[in-house]
Amino acid sequence: MPIVEKSLVRVKRTEKLELDGIDVSGDWNTFLESRVQTDLDVGIVDWVRSQPQGDTIDRCWQCGTCTAGCCMHTDYGLEEFNPRYFIYLAQIGYEEELRRYAQTIWRCVSCNKCVERCPKGVKVEEVVHTIGTYLEASGRAPESPADRFDRAYTENLLDRGILDEAGLFRTYERLEGRKTPVRELLRMGTSLLLSGRLHTGPLAHRTKGWRRMRPVLKGLLDEDLRQRRESAQATRPVGRREP
Amino acid sequence: MNPILVLGAGPAGLSAAAELASLGAPTLLVEKESYLGGNPTRWHYSLLAPDLRPAEEILGPLIQRVEHNPKIELHTGSLIARAEPEGKGYRVSLQSKDTVQTREVSAVILATGFDHFDSRRKFEYGYGHFPDVLDFKELEGMIHDDKVLRPSDGKPPRRIAWILCVGSRDIQIGNPWCCRMGCVVSIKQAVEIRQKHPEIDAYIYYMDVRTYGLWEDLYWKSMQEYGVKFIRGRIGAVSLTEGGKRLIATGEDTILSRPTEVPFDLIVLASGMEPGTGTKEASELFHVPVGPEGFLTPKLSDMNTIDSGLPGIYFAGAATGPKAIPDAITEGMGAALRAFQYARE
Repeated sequence: MPIVEKSLVRVKRTEKLELDGIDVSGDWNTFLESRVQTDLDVGIVDWVRSQPQGDTIDRCWQCGTCTAGCCMHTDYGLEEFNPRYFIYLAQIGYEEELRRYAQTIWRCVSCNKCVERCPKGVKVEEVVHTIGTYLEASGRAPESPADRFDRAYTENLLDRGILDEAGLFRTYERLEGRKTPVRELLRMGTSLLLSGRLHTGPLAHRTKGWRRMRPVLKGLLDEDLRQRRESAQATRPVGRREP
Repeated sequence: MNPILVLGAGPAGLSAAAELASLGAPTLLVEKESYLGGNPTRWHYSLLAPDLRPAEEILGPLIQRVEHNPKIELHTGSLIARAEPEGKGYRVSLQSKDTVQTREVSAVILATGFDHFDSRRKFEYGYGHFPDVLDFKELEGMIHDDKVLRPSDGKPPRRIAWILCVGSRDIQIGNPWCCRMGCVVSIKQAVEIRQKHPEIDAYIYYMDVRTYGLWEDLYWKSMQEYGVKFIRGRIGAVSLTEGGKRLIATGEDTILSRPTEVPFDLIVLASGMEPGTGTKEASELFHVPVGPEGFLTPKLSDMNTIDSGLPGIYFAGAATGPKAIPDAITEGMGAALRAFQYARE
């Protein structure tokens, strides 16, 4: 049967595939993923509800008022940013589907129109962010370039208390395994130099009193991350189809 | 005054009889079954929506008012076999266990009620075939006795699904109407179960949630206070998991736009309301017109559902269409008044 709705097709391809000792990697190696959903994971909504910012999630009845006014969805035109849908996926517990939006979910600009308009008093903006936090903290979302950039940024900032742009760029390049052409590096370097921000390496600035401040801040951040991770990973995993 | 005949002793009939007696009218209350209270008694209804008071607390006082009332002549296990016009009223033959007596009545109130849809007719849900597929009238009794267990192995369920509109809004089985109470009763059952057993997860598969009027409050509470989940879509089939231990509800989540096959321990069917067998018999006996749905047709259904437009015949309760218990009781009161006025003239 020909597949008419191409947008629905999700392809799965493994690096190497052997069947009965015969290497069938290549075009034979492509499978269509099943669209059948067999999970209902109550752990997600339980966790979101337990967070102070997520406790209005149970109110949502999927009217779509939030998405209708969402500036990301409607004005900016990022169709896949759909707060109503994110809430539904979390409520019912379709984790696999929700994971696909682990990055998109952070595109919210917190204009809070959704919160103003929701007829049921869902604090949509907060709930959506809590869902994003869940995905991140439970370690269920695949790490993306944006995640790696965030990590590099935080570490860079923590190092001296002031951002070292050139250093951040170097770290990020290393993390991504990317090489920027020399001509491009020169262009960026010149512009940093001219704007007075090329204080990198040994020349980098340092915030006053940072040596004492740093461990405090780092301890707080680590503790926060640890707590969120622990609670998100302790959620009840149920709903796998049982034989 | 000849007695006024009340046919059916469910909430509507009980209410009509009790009011007639309090007006001082002799009343003949005829009930086909051996007990009083109709469907709520038969299926051991648990709490009633929306205030979650026990059914006994609502029907008990009504039954008491009727049972030992000198003005009410009560015939259970009886039916009207024949009826013909006689003067202003009717001459009926009242058939009890082994006796038949002819009586003259001055007016008639038909409170013959409804039957729950026979869920076996929606064969794709496997009711009557899989023991863990229940009709929600059976779950009422289980909740009432606080014994919500899987019939197959007697174990408590971990996850229950309700399927709404079984035998309602369905042209395949010929019932296109809405039963009006399937939503609220299913939601109420989920709330009752979550109150007592928060470890059981409750999912309701819906097309629309029709908790009309002030019942909306219970719908909101069910989500916000009891964490009942609502999945949009109508289940297409129920089957067993490979090991045969759990049920699988196959359907489409229409919000997700994807097929779903989700395992459940219990599946509960919110079976609709159909005209009761008594209602069909009554329409033939008294030549009352019925609509395409088989319910008795009031003269002006946009004005009231009590006046039949036929001399001396009045309706009360679910005989004229799906109805909630408070509506049936209120209509019983109205019908009593109308019948009394007619009989006294």
